[in-house]
Amino acid sequence: MIFKQIRHEPLAQASYILGCPRAREGVVVDPIADLGADFYVLEAADLGLDVIAVLETHVHADFVSCARELADVTGAPHRLHEAARGLVRYDFAPLTDGESIRVGQVEITALHTPGHTPEHCAFLVIDHARADEPWCVLTGDSLFVGDVGRPDLLVGDQALDVMDEGERAATQFASIHDRLFTLPDHVEVFPNHYGGSTCGGVNMSGKPASTIGFERRFNLALRQPDAEAFARFVRETAKPFPDDYRRIKSINLGLTQAVR
Amino acid sequence: MTDETIPAADSVLDARGQVCPMPVLNAAKAMRGKPAGYVLQLLAADRGSLADVPAWAADTGTDLLEQRVEDGVYIYLLRKGGEDA
Amino acid sequence: MTPDEVAAAVAEGAVVLDLRAPRPFAREHLPGALTMQFNRADLADRAELVLPREVPLVVHAEPEPIARVAVELLAGAGFRIAGRLEGGLAAWKAAGRPTAELPLLDVDELHVRLDELEVLDVREPFEFRHGHVPGARLLPSTEAWARVDELPADRPIAVVCGDQTRSAAVAAMLQHVGRDARLVMGGMVDWLERGYPVERERARV
Repeated sequence: MIFKQIRHEPLAQASYILGCPRAREGVVVDPIADLGADFYVLEAADLGLDVIAVLETHVHADFVSCARELADVTGAPHRLHEAARGLVRYDFAPLTDGESIRVGQVEITALHTPGHTPEHCAFLVIDHARADEPWCVLTGDSLFVGDVGRPDLLVGDQALDVMDEGERAATQFASIHDRLFTLPDHVEVFPNHYGGSTCGGVNMSGKPASTIGFERRFNLALRQPDAEAFARFVRETAKPFPDDYRRIKSINLGLTQAVR
Repeated sequence: MTDETIPAADSVLDARGQVCPMPVLNAAKAMRGKPAGYVLQLLAADRGSLADVPAWAADTGTDLLEQRVEDGVYIYLLRKGGEDA
Repeated sequence: MTPDEVAAAVAEGAVVLDLRAPRPFAREHLPGALTMQFNRADLADRAELVLPREVPLVVHAEPEPIARVAVELLAGAGFRIAGRLEGGLAAWKAAGRPTAELPLLDVDELHVRLDELEVLDVREPFEFRHGHVPGARLLPSTEAWARVDELPADRPIAVVCGDQTRSAAVAAMLQHVGRDARLVMGGMVDWLERGYPVERERARV
């Protein structure tokens, strides 16, 4: 398996290129416009991979995505969880919960993990060349290293927000416990943000990877006894809002155009 | 392989972004001017290297001390032979 | 360049250089196109070893951002670039223009059909000496463009290298001059892995 975590330090954001070198196929996850579609096209070419899908864990609010441009220039489908239908103003190829994408020997399974956003999903990765069991999970903004994705990035439109902060927190708590913490301890955790990013709280680690086992034991937010305590903890340990998040979210929803 | 311990590399040539035949050509370049016994570790992502690295080693009197694959990366440990190639 | 402009350039002596991987190239490409797999690290180095300098090139790369970078890399290495095909193969076909195919075979098929095919090994002499397909002829990829007319025209030519990157480049050259070429996917690495016999020494050049 080819697995490349691309860290964009100014926003402490991580995107990913995963693929199978024998099949010469790969996918890009959560590409960021600050790097641009061309960047990912050339990286994939250097890795000997043809991009066969562009995946997003969710519609981002803290950085402008270039997933649509990348899908366009490669001819690959742009995939989001189906719950994004009705929220975004553009076409995409919806993913259902549990749906698997085969990339040569690599298998990527979508796990719907709403909370941070209603359409959020994590991507579970199996490299069949090594084993038929999950090896790592791309957790987007649900589970961070040492922290969790914040539930309060609302745009102020009930139709687009779908859930309010309280519901998001409760759903986030359930999603992580029921869908992610049920995975084996050794499964590695690769998030969409780390360190200084304002998508998580003050406990977010600068280390851009962890394991399910370590987070289950030591993630302070998730060690809270119930959803209410969790919601309180997350509110109390929140960072300032990401810069410009309403405008960025609007761009990523397809409501407004990005100005270059 | 004999009981001989595998020595540590004097340097590593990371040719993982390179396409056949560049990994072996660059390994040859890296070895030029080095003394006998110099150990180079070559990393390549190119499957063609499985044929051309052993061939180059045999042709130049270079010892191929180790050859293995880790996660799609081909790893070669090469030791420069007696006289200058 | 539009497909029409590319066709006009080719009519005036330019050559199309297809930078896609061997398999998609083999499946379908512009007739007479040469090929070289793209990367940033050493495209220019490999091109310098193998490609003719005297002909202007029309770059065909997909996705399109690759074409722009490739033109820079090749021009920087002193190649004459006539332009690049906009819209790729899709645009070429939409303009009603024909495409060509490079037949593929794997080493199992090659093994079975050894008697009917002329096997051309395009690696360097030291690689050939170390072990080649019995009866193979040696023509290093670094000399192929200049010497391609030396090859017999009576049988299909199965082109082999370590894997299939150099052999794809030479197979395309053979097709460019009207030969019946086949590309052996997996090359000598697969041949050795299957345990098929190899000859050493005895280069019939």
